[in-house]
Amino acid sequence: MIKNKTFIFILAAGLFLAFWSPQGLSGGKVNLNFDHFYDHEELTRTLKKLEQAYPQFMEVQSLGKSYQGREIWAVILNNPKTGPAEHKPGFYIDGNIHGNEIQGAEVALYAIWYLLENYGSNELATRLLDERAFYVIPTMNPDSRDHYINKVADPNSPRTGLIPHDNDHDGVADEDGPEDLDGDGSITRMRKKDPFGRYKTHPQDSRILIPVRPGEKGEYTLLGQEGIDNDGDGRINEDGPGGYDMNRNYGYNWQPDYVQRGAGPYPFCFPETKATRDFLLAHPNIMGAQNFHNSGGMILRGPGAKNMGKYPRGDRKVYDYIGEKGEKIIPGYDYMIVYKDLYTVYGGSIDFIYSVLGAYTFSNELDRSPMASMPGAPQREEPQDEEVQRWQRLARELDEMFYYDRVRLGKQYTDWKPYDHPLYGKIEIGGVKKFGRRVPPLFQLAETCHRNAAFCFFHADQLPRLNFDKIKVKKLKNGLFQVDVLIENTRVTPSISTQARRQELHRPDRFQIKGNGVQLISAGKLTDSYRDITQRIETTDNFFWNQTGIPGFGKEDFRLIIKGKGKIELIYDSLKGGYLTTSTRLK
Amino acid sequence: MRRFLYEAFCFSLCLSLVMVSPSLAEFSLDKYHSPPEVSSLLKSWNSQHSELTKLISIGKSAGGHPLYVLQIAGSSSENLSSQSRPAVFVSANLEGNHLIGTEAALNLAHKLITQYPSDKKIGRFLKKRTVYIAPLLNPDAAQNYFEDVRYGRKSNAKPLDEDLDAQKDEDGPDDLNKDGWITQMRVKDPEGKWIPDPQEPRLMRKADPQKGEKGIYKLYTEGLDNDNDGEYNEDFLGGVEINLNFPHDFEYSQKKTGLWPVSEKETIALLKFLTDNHNIAMVLNFSTENTILNLKQTGKPRLAGDKVQVPDRYAEFLGLEKGKKYDIDELINILEGMDVFGGREIDESFIAMMLGLGPAMSLDKKDKSYIQAVQKEYKESLKKAELEYPVNKAQGVKKGSFTAYCYFQYGVPVFSTDLWSIPLPEKKSKKEGLTLDQLKSMSSEEFLALGEEKIGAFLKEIGAPERFKASKVMKMVESGQVTPSQMAEMIEKMPQQKGGNGEEHPDLYILEWSDSQLNGKGFVEWTSFQHPTLGEVEIGGFIPYLKTNPPPSKMKKPITFHTDFYLDLMGRLPELNIHKAEVEPLDKNMYRVKLYLTNTGWFPTSTAQGRRARTAWPIRVELETSGSQVVFSGKKIETIPYIGGSGDVRKLEWTVRGKKGSKIKVKAWAPKLGSVSTSIVLK
Repeated sequence: MIKNKTFIFILAAGLFLAFWSPQGLSGGKVNLNFDHFYDHEELTRTLKKLEQAYPQFMEVQSLGKSYQGREIWAVILNNPKTGPAEHKPGFYIDGNIHGNEIQGAEVALYAIWYLLENYGSNELATRLLDERAFYVIPTMNPDSRDHYINKVADPNSPRTGLIPHDNDHDGVADEDGPEDLDGDGSITRMRKKDPFGRYKTHPQDSRILIPVRPGEKGEYTLLGQEGIDNDGDGRINEDGPGGYDMNRNYGYNWQPDYVQRGAGPYPFCFPETKATRDFLLAHPNIMGAQNFHNSGGMILRGPGAKNMGKYPRGDRKVYDYIGEKGEKIIPGYDYMIVYKDLYTVYGGSIDFIYSVLGAYTFSNELDRSPMASMPGAPQREEPQDEEVQRWQRLARELDEMFYYDRVRLGKQYTDWKPYDHPLYGKIEIGGVKKFGRRVPPLFQLAETCHRNAAFCFFHADQLPRLNFDKIKVKKLKNGLFQVDVLIENTRVTPSISTQARRQELHRPDRFQIKGNGVQLISAGKLTDSYRDITQRIETTDNFFWNQTGIPGFGKEDFRLIIKGKGKIELIYDSLKGGYLTTSTRLK
Repeated sequence: MRRFLYEAFCFSLCLSLVMVSPSLAEFSLDKYHSPPEVSSLLKSWNSQHSELTKLISIGKSAGGHPLYVLQIAGSSSENLSSQSRPAVFVSANLEGNHLIGTEAALNLAHKLITQYPSDKKIGRFLKKRTVYIAPLLNPDAAQNYFEDVRYGRKSNAKPLDEDLDAQKDEDGPDDLNKDGWITQMRVKDPEGKWIPDPQEPRLMRKADPQKGEKGIYKLYTEGLDNDNDGEYNEDFLGGVEINLNFPHDFEYSQKKTGLWPVSEKETIALLKFLTDNHNIAMVLNFSTENTILNLKQTGKPRLAGDKVQVPDRYAEFLGLEKGKKYDIDELINILEGMDVFGGREIDESFIAMMLGLGPAMSLDKKDKSYIQAVQKEYKESLKKAELEYPVNKAQGVKKGSFTAYCYFQYGVPVFSTDLWSIPLPEKKSKKEGLTLDQLKSMSSEEFLALGEEKIGAFLKEIGAPERFKASKVMKMVESGQVTPSQMAEMIEKMPQQKGGNGEEHPDLYILEWSDSQLNGKGFVEWTSFQHPTLGEVEIGGFIPYLKTNPPPSKMKKPITFHTDFYLDLMGRLPELNIHKAEVEPLDKNMYRVKLYLTNTGWFPTSTAQGRRARTAWPIRVELETSGSQVVFSGKKIETIPYIGGSGDVRKLEWTVRGKKGSKIKVKAWAPKLGSVSTSIVLK
């Protein structure tokens, strides 16, 4: 039924657009380039531009302000002509919770843009905008995003948000961060010539430092990140900007700072995590979710920590189906489990969205290391002889320098240059610059965006797709009718996750009948149609709750005993599986 | 009507008192104060003593009641701001039905304020310390006691859909017999599992089929099926139980605890206040938990002092023995020596994080000895004060409670008491026979001398399993397998036997107490009622609040006792002082400077758990040089992890080059200790 309707609608919408829109079906209303990174100002401008171009589909909301006062933008995509957003399974995307892991925002922006630009011309984009609602937060951490893009930074920081935090317990916050002493725009490393140092230069490339063997004479000491001792406490760079991790601040399986650094004093204590939580809670139809991080090329799912136990079997099957397809959509990415294959995360976003909200959630570590894509690079091998490892490391580091020289053409590496340090005296500063690691080189950004957006589209398409399949009306005695209704789900995701069902996370699906003077006498699930065995369900006021939902790639047969006559309307209202109606006649 | 007149009379009496004497006389321990009354008391105290107090609004409850903290700090000679002094935080009634806690906190505030001018000890204390008092932290729930229908509410007013029917709070209890209390309904039902206790038929217990008993009744909370779903009272008004909403060992997926830890306005407001005020060095709480007497924690010990096994994949990488168990200190030593973590500080938290060990779950040994010392004194003073408190019935800390948070995460010494509990009747056998306390302090010889008969009687009384016959126990003691004090410990840990076996119903003493002390008012006699959907039912049972709150007339004694006990604990805060500073000339313009720091308070400067949680910062000692002074050895900024209690001393040394007669300044500081400084002349 729905299929037919949808088809007619698509046809109608297509025709309508073809006549109405001067750009026609090919899209191209908003020209976006994915050849650079968007700072918050440009991202804001771009989102507004898209909203203006597609007001019928897109709404930009501010979820409130970051600590430094930047708006945290959320985008809702929906085609209201096919129903309100809350009547459709929702798909959630967020990116850039870690300030330095910026490319998640570009992927999210690309996904929004692609769906809008290809509505009507691409079958999948059209179906998704018609049948699903999208909830997208391109950057959760606009403060650190801007800091990373526009100020001096290094590939690994700022990961935190920018609320000042007294890391060194001296009563003053953020007073001793790193400095860009050599003025190359990045925080690199400091080294000093020292015959007692524990490093020497690589025999083929003096830019590379390698550890000396025991008893061997050294050449250099490494002095850590570029910077000075701003607060005169004898330590360098020990209290930089912020100092916490928002992806340890979510309210499921949360543990305090001493169990894992950066958790904050209690869950959702930061404005950014609180804002995104409230956005998630405000849209309980969200059934699939995607976080974007960097780097390494991973499609991660929970549990984040071993103490959570295994996910229920029914849900693992859903994850595996989508995750394994993901490995094909994004070659080189591995589908993995956080605590088992990576490390322990308490209070992470994926666990909260799955375990508290009951939605299937992945987190992608965007972009593999450029080295990893080179043939012959060692990957997760059995430990070998120390000397062999040493030689492999030397070779790898030469490869890496070759990459910076011949692929990045020298732009993302600062050669060691002398510098007169106030404490260490004559030193050298140099190393990989901030865009040299973890974020993709710009010539690869578009591919990262497209493949990961395509993975989101696949997952969104795999959210529950429910259909009234067939309705059989049989007249009984005494003015009663037996109505058999089959509801099918043509996608892998069930309308209620096993986790949600077990933990009673949200209301079950609601099946209601409407009609003049019509009364629902009894209802049940037809568990064996050959033997006519029905499992009774408690009914109240012409409706009943279907506690188990409609399984993925499956169906459910309902048998209703109804008193009355004439037209009746059947409404299947699933919080996360959509809202569908049909009608039939009792005669 | 009579009740209304009585209340009107009380109200006018209050008014006239206020008008006659605007002093603090209006507070006395003979009634429970409603949330609005608590607010107006705090406001009036604050306006009358603005030189000493400051009323801080930390937020509002889900139901819109204000949440107040009364700050009490006398003006000091050094002009120390309230936030730069070590502070004590006093909290009460997070559970909502522990009304006596609110009165105790108010009494403590009242005593500090009124005795500040006259009591020298209190005066001295408030000149250098700050006390924050939050007498009512779950006002939504507490309000229920002052309403027409009382049900012992514990949850706040956040609407919640407990039964997942997309409606909130639509099926709460109903006062069907119009007695103002929500009690129970018993209904005869073929599927019933309950029977009246044969010894005391007013009390209900589960039928024991092994004894040939068959259930007769079903039990419900008094009420209707308001939403017609076949369930009774399954979607109460509100909410979340605030004292279960804190983040240590929080129970997920429990509705009443909240969707996640610190999800409620009340919890957020409180933790924000605590984390904004780093000077809070001790928390004294009133709740149904008595953590001075009952030291049992909520989970199985994991990290604290335990040995851990390093997962194979790390063990190989770190060159550790696979499958071997290490203790944390051992691992720290090994890893520090390896230098593979890029200069990262290797401490317990790092190891816990790397190995995914999770949080500490038991009291640290070092802290426990202090708590036990307090326990000993507490027990002795309870006895001396003749409070009739049933020591063995004290409840321990709860999962996700405020007290648990304060110890494990906020990292300060914390004590919670329940103030009062229904006293146990004195047992005849106890008068002559052996008591648990006696057993604890007994030697093996003394125990054996009691003889088989007495020991047998004692074993029977405590309900020891049958295999522990007197003769067997005596043999165990004789052979040294177990000492009497170990036995006492084991007995304390034994689960209390319940019902059945001709044994006493566990609630019998409550009923007896209600009969003898309250003229039976604590129990509503079962009375027949025609229920619209259940048919013939009987309504009755214990009234709410009975077990946690004494009648107002019995409130004064336990509150006065605990006020004094808490005042004594406050006086034991650590106190950082400079014991002495010495200068020893080494050569011309070269001096050795020695600083002896001491803690003259009773508690150590921080708890071991506070150090592990890194919320108790180390003491920071700064040497301020001037002019041509140069520090030759030693660091200008040193940190000391902690100093023990009762006058423990830590020495620091520097070698300084400087002009003879020039001064050098030293300052020692930690947020929970305040700061001390001195000037040292090089000579």
